Amino acid sequence: MRKRHILFIGLLAALLMALLFSFHAGTEGEAPASQAAQAAAVDSSSCVYPKEYMHTHHMQVLEDWKNTAAHEGPDAVHETADGRKLQKNLSTCLACHGSNRYFCFSCHAYANAQPNCWNCHISPLETP
Amino acid sequence: MMKNDRREFIRKAGMGLLAGMGAASGLLTGGGFERTTSAAWAAVPGEEGLRWGMLFDTRRCPEGCTLCIESCHHTHNVPDIASLEGKIEWMHKENGRELLGSLCASTAAVPALCNHCAEPSCARACPTGSIFRRTDGIVAIDYHRCVGCRSCMQSCPYGEVSFNWSDPRAALKNPTVEYPTRQRGVVEKCNFCSDRLVRGKKPSCVEACPEGAISFGNLNDPSSEIRRLLESSETLQRKPELGTRPSVFYII
Ligand code: SF4
Ligand code: SF4
Ligand code: SF4
Repeated sequence: MRKRHILFIGLLAALLMALLFSFHAGTEGEAPASQAAQAAAVDSSSCVYPKEYMHTHHMQVLEDWKNTAAHEGPDAVHETADGRKLQKNLSTCLACHGSNRYFCFSCHAYANAQPNCWNCHISPLETP
Repeated sequence: MMKNDRREFIRKAGMGLLAGMGAASGLLTGGGFERTTSAAWAAVPGEEGLRWGMLFDTRRCPEGCTLCIESCHHTHNVPDIASLEGKIEWMHKENGRELLGSLCASTAAVPALCNHCAEPSCARACPTGSIFRRTDGIVAIDYHRCVGCRSCMQSCPYGEVSFNWSDPRAALKNPTVEYPTRQRGVVEKCNFCSDRLVRGKKPSCVEACPEGAISFGNLNDPSSEIRRLLESSETLQRKPELGTRPSVFYII
């Protein structure tokens, strides 16, 4: 009698595990995936914001790009006031500003600003 | 007389548990334990759109060829570090039997990379949300956020995450300017070439393979080449029994 009782407890545990398993399998649907966005342009004839704004706020703009670019992937698109769409990526900046190798460095050196962008991104100064 | 109660209880309950599990596994799993079942790649309800996947036809993969690896590592500035502890790999070739388990008939080396799991255990472990699954199925790392705790390395059952113990730039001879390097103290792994996909290009390894052994496409699109191959061939995944739902498949 007692023997059967105990065996039954084990069987019950197995049943519970199976139940848990089936519930888990049923919760797989997650957030809907978006279709691949066509990459936005990385080239432009004028900046994403007016020059004066960028003088004082480029760090905030880049901070936002940095925080969203990796997570949103192809959906990380910046739309300018005049409707241009640009990929949030440092290479979008460098598509224009990379032509002047000292563009970032002349000011940063003067202001003794030491951003850590170039720990990983390859700077125009390092390119041949 | 009742002294051995506890032991008996554990023994018998355990027997019951084993019997129950045996019965349940017969009921719950369809087909072989390790072989790819259609449920592993078919779109699950509520998951539509894009899920990038890769398939290796290892029958076309010649012994000793490492063109895919070289191309990947060059494109993504993966440093060449010889020491076993310091080694960084986005792609590597391993003994097929060790990689894919006993169902793999061949012990020839087959390419391996991050599986871009649909249920990535690395992402669950990351305390900072630096490694995460994107809406297109790519498991990506935000190197800006990574604090280098290596939880992801510990929880990836495939050992596909590498850690930068030293400055990777020192070990890079000929860097690709378009792609960043990493810095000391962050992890890295294959990014399914998200940097190239966004520019409408195929992954670097796919393009580099002269034998056309690598297919890449949307697993949720029934008309894609990869789905056609999955439907017409017997394929294997790495450790599918863990429930990570890898997006990388192998024809042996
Ligand atoms: S293979 Fe490892 S690193 Fe890649 S998604 Fe799966 S668990 Fe994460
Ligand atoms: S090493 Fe970086 S990516 Fe990995 S779990 Fe830690 S913070 Fe996340
Ligand atoms: S998909 Fe891209 S990042 Fe991943 S192994 Fe292939 S070349 Fe490397």
